[in-house]
Amino acid sequence: MNSSIIKVAQSSFTTTGIIAKCSPVLASQLHTSAPLCRVVSGKYRITKKRDKPLTYEMANPPHYIAHRKSWNSWNTSTLQGGLRRSETALEDEFIRRFMTGTWHGLVCSEVIIKRQFNHIRVAAIIRRAVSPTKMYFLLGYTEELLANWLQCPVTLELQTVDSFKDVVFKYI
Amino acid sequence: MYSSVIVPRQWTRFTCLCRSLTSVEGQKLPQNSKSSDGISPPPRKPRGPTDLLQALAATVGTDPTAAHYKYHDDPYLIPLSNFRKRSYALSAEAGRKAAAWIRDEHSNLFTTREWDPPTKNKTPYFNADPRIEAFAPKPIYNDASKVTEQDLKYTIQNALIDDSITIFQLLGGTSGVSEELKLQLLQLLCFYNEKEPESMEWLEERWFAANTRDRQAATWRLGGLADQIFESMDPKTPEAYCAMIQGMAKYYQAERAHMLTMEVKEKGIPLSTGVYNSLIGCVGFLREGTTLRVEALRSLLAEMHEQGISPNDETLSACLRSLSAWGGGKILQQMALSIVAEFRRLDIQPGLAAYYYLLCLFCKERGPRFDILSTIINELEQKEHLEAKEPADTNFFITAMGVCSDHLQNITMAERLHALLMKGDNYKLVGDAYKESIYYRHYVTVACRHASFEKTLELLDTLVPNVYVPEPSVMEEIIKTLEVGGAGDRLAQAWSQLVVFGHSKRARLVERLLDAMVNTYPGQEEEVKSKMRAAAADMLSFGQMTPEEKEMKDIRSPVQKLSATAVCNIIEMCSDTQDKADPLWKSVEVALQRLRKEEAAGVPARPQALADVAKKAAAVGLPGIAATAVTYLAECGFEEAMAASVHVLGTMLNRPEQEVEELLSQGQSALVSSLHPAAMAVAEAYSLAKTGGPIIQESERTSSSSDSDSDSSSDDE
Repeated sequence: MNSSIIKVAQSSFTTTGIIAKCSPVLASQLHTSAPLCRVVSGKYRITKKRDKPLTYEMANPPHYIAHRKSWNSWNTSTLQGGLRRSETALEDEFIRRFMTGTWHGLVCSEVIIKRQFNHIRVAAIIRRAVSPTKMYFLLGYTEELLANWLQCPVTLELQTVDSFKDVVFKYI
Repeated sequence: MYSSVIVPRQWTRFTCLCRSLTSVEGQKLPQNSKSSDGISPPPRKPRGPTDLLQALAATVGTDPTAAHYKYHDDPYLIPLSNFRKRSYALSAEAGRKAAAWIRDEHSNLFTTREWDPPTKNKTPYFNADPRIEAFAPKPIYNDASKVTEQDLKYTIQNALIDDSITIFQLLGGTSGVSEELKLQLLQLLCFYNEKEPESMEWLEERWFAANTRDRQAATWRLGGLADQIFESMDPKTPEAYCAMIQGMAKYYQAERAHMLTMEVKEKGIPLSTGVYNSLIGCVGFLREGTTLRVEALRSLLAEMHEQGISPNDETLSACLRSLSAWGGGKILQQMALSIVAEFRRLDIQPGLAAYYYLLCLFCKERGPRFDILSTIINELEQKEHLEAKEPADTNFFITAMGVCSDHLQNITMAERLHALLMKGDNYKLVGDAYKESIYYRHYVTVACRHASFEKTLELLDTLVPNVYVPEPSVMEEIIKTLEVGGAGDRLAQAWSQLVVFGHSKRARLVERLLDAMVNTYPGQEEEVKSKMRAAAADMLSFGQMTPEEKEMKDIRSPVQKLSATAVCNIIEMCSDTQDKADPLWKSVEVALQRLRKEEAAGVPARPQALADVAKKAAAVGLPGIAATAVTYLAECGFEEAMAASVHVLGTMLNRPEQEVEELLSQGQSALVSSLHPAAMAVAEAYSLAKTGGPIIQESERTSSSSDSDSDSSSDDE
C-alpha cells in the first residue's frame, strides 16, 4: 500500500528529480493505517468489575513511550540507512513467541529485545514457579537455540518475581 | 564572498590529504630518524581480531563479591552451596546440549528456506553471510549415510573418533582409504586410544567432571582398529611407527612399545623426540627396583644423544614424571636435580609440570622438610606470564598449596603462591572445579592456622561464598579460628552460613559451633550477644522442624541428634535475659523438654550451667522452667541437683535456705497440700537427688537413669 501511495505522489508531482531522491524518506514517514489506531491501539478497555490486572508497561498508553516507559525493541534498523528492517521486526516477533512458548506461563512482562552489534539481549520478568535448576536448563536451551537460529550470540537477562501479582501496576 | 570561504576550505582539505599521505607512508616505512615536522609515528603493529577486546577485558578484574558470570544475576538464581553451583551450571549446559541436539537432528530447518512455495525445491539458505561454522548443524553419521573421504577428513580434523571409525568402515575399511588418510586416522586413534574424548564444546562438563586420575595401568586396546590399520599399511612409514609407539607408551603398554622400538631400531628407521619422551614416561614398567630403573632411564637418554635427537621441555617433564612415580629417596632426588641442571645447560627451563613432579619427589608428607618451593616461586614470579603446555601443568598450584599447608606450614609462601595464581590470566592453570576446591581448602586451612586473625577474616570475606564454599572440615577450622579470635558476631553469622551451605544437618559441626559460641559469649557486647542468642534459638527450631518433615516425607537416613551438651549450650545462651516476657524463654522451655524427652544424645557435660539457669529462671519468675531444669538434673543423677533445688525453692518461696531445708525434711503429704505444683516438682527433685528415689514413683527414676546411662554409652562409641 505504501508504494502505491508513493506512486500517486510521484505522478502528482511534476518535478520527478526531487521526489525520486526523497522517496525512501517518504516511505518510512508516510503512515497509511486508519486514524482509529491512534485512539484504540495499545490501550486497554476498562472492565465492569475493574479487576483486569495491568502491568506498568500496559498501563501506559503508547504516547507515553520515551516519557514514562520505553521501547520493547531496541535496534537501529528504523534509523536512516538502517539495515534489515523487515527481518528485524520478524525476528523480534519470533523471539517473543519463542520466549512465551518455551517459558510457558512463566513470562510476566513484555519481552524486551535489545540489539547491539551482532549481539541480541533478551530481557523478561519470570515467575518463580519452577525450580532454579529447571530455569537454568531453559536458559541454556533458549540461548543456544536462538543463537543457532539467528546466527548470532543471544543472551537472556531475566529477573524473577514470586508471583504474577508482583508486576501488577493497577486494575482497570 | 563565496570565493573567500571556499579557498581556505580547499586549502585545509589539501593539507589534510598531505598529512594522511605522509602518515600512510610512515606506516609503510617505519622511520628511525625524525621526520621533518618532528612527528614520527610508531611502526604498525599487526593485531588479531580479538586483541582489542582482550585488552579491554584485561582492564576489568574479577569481582569476588559477585557470583561467577556463568550464573544468572538474580537472587533466586545465584547458587550458594557447592551442590547448587554444580547443578545450576550443569543444567544450563544440559539445556544447551538439548538445543544442539535439536539443531543437528532437524538440520534441514536450519539450512533451508521453509518459506519457499511448496512446489519449488527448497533452496539451501544460511541466515548469516558469510556462513558461521560454529552455528551450523553438525553432520550425523550412521550406517546408512553416504560418505566420502572428505567426510573422513572432516571428522579427523575435528577429532570425532566414533564418527571417523564409522566412516572408515563405510568406506571399506583398510582397503578403501588412501594411505595418507589412514596415517592421519592412525595418529588420531593412537592419541585417544580409540575413545571419544570429552568434547571441547561443553566447558561445564569438563569443569565439573569427576576427577578421574589417569590409571597407571595398561589400557591400550590390543588388536583394536589402530593395530589393524597399522598392519595393513604398506610400506610402513616412520610416522606410523612413531604414532604406534607413542600410543602404546601413552597407555602404558610398555613392553609392546619397547619391542616395537627394538624392531624399528633394527630396521634403522629414525624416531622422533616425542617417541623418546613417551618411552621415558613408561620406562619404569619394564624394570623393577630403583637402581635398574634409573639405569634404564640413563641409557634411553644416552641413546637419544647417540641418535642426535635433541630433547625438548617435554623430555624433562617425562624424566621427572618417571622419577617421581618411583617413590622417594636420596638417589632419585639427586638424579632429578642433576637432570634439571643438565637441561638448564641446554637452555631448557623446567615448566609447571616439571615443578609439580619435583614437589611430588621432595615434599613427602612424612619426610624431612625441603624448602624447594621458595626457589620455584622466585623463578615463577620473574616470568611475565605462565603458559599451559601439558595437562599436568594444572596440578602445580594445588600441589604447591598443599605443600604450603601441610609440609611447610608457611602462610607467607601461601600468599605469594596465591598472588602468582591471581596474576594476569594465570587463573586458567587452576584446573577444574575439584582441583580449585582442594586448592582453596589448603589455602584457607593454612590461613586459619598460621595467619593473623584480621588477615584470615579478610581472606574469608573475599573467598566465601562466591569463589569457594568451605567443606565441613574447613568450616570446623574456621570456627576454631573465630573462637580463638573471640569474634562472636562472626560466629552468629557462621550459623546462617552453615544453613546456606547445606551443612546445618551435620550435628558435629553445629555442636562445635555452639561450643565456640558459649566460650566466646561472656566477653561480648550486648548487641552481639542478642545476635548470638537469636542464632542459638534458631538452631533449636531448625532442629525441631525435622521430625515433622520426617513424618511427612518418610526420610530414610536417620537425622543426627544434637548432643545434650549442645542443647545445654543453647539453653545457657538463651536464658541470658532478665525480661520475663522474652520469647527466648520459650526456646529454653522447648530445649528443656527435648532434654527430658531424651531427644538429645548423652548427658550435659556441664550440669552447673543448667543449675544456674534454673536459679535464674526462678529469680525471673518462671517456676515452670526452673522446676523442669532441676528435675532433669535430678533424673540424670547429678550432684548439683540438690543444691540447685534448695536454692530454687528458696527463691520461689522467698525464704532463706535453711528454712527451706527444714521444710523439705518434712513429710510428703504436708508438702503436697501446702506447695504450688512447680515448687512441688522442685521438692520432688530434691528428694530424688538426695535419696536416689522419688517421693512418689520408684519406677520412673530407674527407667530414666538407665536410659541416660545407655545413651551416654552409645554416645561414647
